[in-house]
Amino acid sequence: MNMLRKWFWLVCLLSSLGIPLLASAQEGIFLREEEAPKAVFPEGTSFDRKMIRSTEELKEKIRQRMGKAKTSVWEDSYVTFIAKKGDTILGYAVIVEEIGKHRPITFVVGVGNDRKIKDAALMVYREAYGGEVRDRRFLQQYKGKELKDPLLPYRDIQNISGATLSVEAIGRGSKKALVLVDLIYLEDAERK
Amino acid sequence: MQKLIVTSLLLIFTSATSLAQEGDTRAEIRELREKLERLEKKMAEDEAQKAKRAEVEKAAIAEQVKKDVISEVATKGQSFFGRIIEQTKVGAYGSMRYGTSNLDDLHNTFTFRRFVLTVDSPISERLKANMELEFERFTSLELDKNLTRTSGGGLTSEVAIEGTSKSEISMEQAWMQYDIADWLKFRGGAVLVPLGRFNINHDDNRWDLPRRSLVDRGVPVLPATAAWPELGAGFLGDISVGNTGKVSYQWYVMNGVTLNSEVEQIGQTRAGDTTKLAYEVKLQPSRGTFSDDVKTGKSIGTRWAYSPWLGDEIAASLYWGRYTPDFLPSKPVISFSFDGKKTWGPFEIEGEYVNTQWSGVRSVARGLAQRAITSSSEGEVGDVETEVEFELANLASRKQGYWLDFRYRFWPDFLNKTILGSQFSNPQLIATFRAEQVWFSGLLNQIAFTDGSLTEFKTQNRLVNRFTAGLTYRPVPLVALQLAYEYTRTNKGKSLSTVTNFLPAKEGEYFQNAFLMGLAFGF
Repeated sequence: MNMLRKWFWLVCLLSSLGIPLLASAQEGIFLREEEAPKAVFPEGTSFDRKMIRSTEELKEKIRQRMGKAKTSVWEDSYVTFIAKKGDTILGYAVIVEEIGKHRPITFVVGVGNDRKIKDAALMVYREAYGGEVRDRRFLQQYKGKELKDPLLPYRDIQNISGATLSVEAIGRGSKKALVLVDLIYLEDAERK
Repeated sequence: MQKLIVTSLLLIFTSATSLAQEGDTRAEIRELREKLERLEKKMAEDEAQKAKRAEVEKAAIAEQVKKDVISEVATKGQSFFGRIIEQTKVGAYGSMRYGTSNLDDLHNTFTFRRFVLTVDSPISERLKANMELEFERFTSLELDKNLTRTSGGGLTSEVAIEGTSKSEISMEQAWMQYDIADWLKFRGGAVLVPLGRFNINHDDNRWDLPRRSLVDRGVPVLPATAAWPELGAGFLGDISVGNTGKVSYQWYVMNGVTLNSEVEQIGQTRAGDTTKLAYEVKLQPSRGTFSDDVKTGKSIGTRWAYSPWLGDEIAASLYWGRYTPDFLPSKPVISFSFDGKKTWGPFEIEGEYVNTQWSGVRSVARGLAQRAITSSSEGEVGDVETEVEFELANLASRKQGYWLDFRYRFWPDFLNKTILGSQFSNPQLIATFRAEQVWFSGLLNQIAFTDGSLTEFKTQNRLVNRFTAGLTYRPVPLVALQLAYEYTRTNKGKSLSTVTNFLPAKEGEYFQNAFLMGLAFGF
């Protein structure tokens, strides 16, 4: 009986160790830069990449418009995309970074011409906990949100228990993207 | 003559008119030319601006590329260990409490509940390691050991241990994880046993009351008190179900809980009596060893959770394994739990039910009697009485209990203008009400054995109830300032100290009223 039990545990352990070898792999980086705009504007047919250099003036404007939400990372420059379907501009995608607990979270935010978030997608998550923020069911809460919304857990965003800091980071980054699109693209278009 | 005058006048008028017309045309031409010049200038300026902008953008791209290249070169040039050190993050969480109580021996006190150091490191893209080291009520531990010559001949060996009461240093987690896929991650090391929802989410700063639940900690129904790690290996993962659903699981094979000995050494002087030196060897369930296992059987722990959408979850978990060391009869402990969380906007209900069955408690007691032969031995030499006692503790044929938290999160706008809210982006107040109950059936009360035979085996059924009402202020998510009132009660006339592991109640003290103030933090 004892021998049988030993074999049972051995088989359990070995099969446990063997399964990984058969399993398909998944990258830790969830989206690369070239895939990012398509993730938030799936109907887009072309994406014009434009790099926006961050200046002190731009930072100050972003800071003012973000209000109480204080960004944890000031990027040197922002990678942005103009998403088009044929000749029609669908909106703008911005890649932003915010610190979760200890490490930066990189994600893309798609903003429509109506100044509302079309979608958001996680590109790189580096924290040990809270990876659930990349789930579709979490990110789809941001659709339709605009700058005046709090974008905060327990306010207008359903929190993920144990990942509150990451949830707050996604909110801050989304606000940063909304301000940036407004400053760089939408206000310019209105002036013209 | 008249005709001549008229003709001359006409001529003069016509030429004057044509002269005036010529002047207008010239002015128009001049104006047009100026306009053209202005347009040309503006166009040139626009062109220059465009060129400047393009240059700036180009410079930015060049700069970025340069940075990327430098960083890539730096990364490539960096040693493996250098990279690991750079990526490794040290954090911590801790908590303290001030409490008052109606119990005679407790009164009011500050308690440093614990300080836990956390370290996590992404070794590579798919490999990560995590560690939690706990210092519970810990201030110092000093060990002094000497081997010296005895004056007048001989050798003296001295050992002195100096520490603080109820202090503990404990490894709460230390594992490595290999992320194969979202639905399959391998984890090995000291892992948290996935039984119920508290043990795997035990960080003090995540909870809104300044005391852990009875089921998990104070009157443990879990086979070992939370935080409960075991040495083992297994798998965990998440599987998406539809657009919003998710199934999460954890499954481990572990050394598992075992009856372990705790030796208490007591030196006692007594008025009008001999001085007593006592050794109490208590065998009670505790977390399994991180060294060679003392039993042949291993344990299994698994938890399966289904979350239909964000904020809601139901889960079932199971733990099964032998709890007796090899020198005692082989008996298993089976524990199962149901837990869940439901959110309606600012309202939350979260709870856990645990049921643990220790099989063959009497048979284990008999086995201990055969091995230990005599439960209590004493002798007297001169003025010193020496006593050695063996006992079985904290075993019951069945333990079951639950906790249920009702929470309401709010933040009145007027507080934004006060010190509580002005500096923070999302401060919160959380009102919590917790109801808890624990039932013990066949709780081992007393055993005695002589000459290898069990002579006494007494059990009892007990009940513990606790209600807690609290208010927590969270300026930021990782910091909680807590206020709470709690009422704890056991069977009338019985002592709370015989069923709880944290209340020093005297005989007959069967209830406690307590006010608590807590501080929990993380970084």
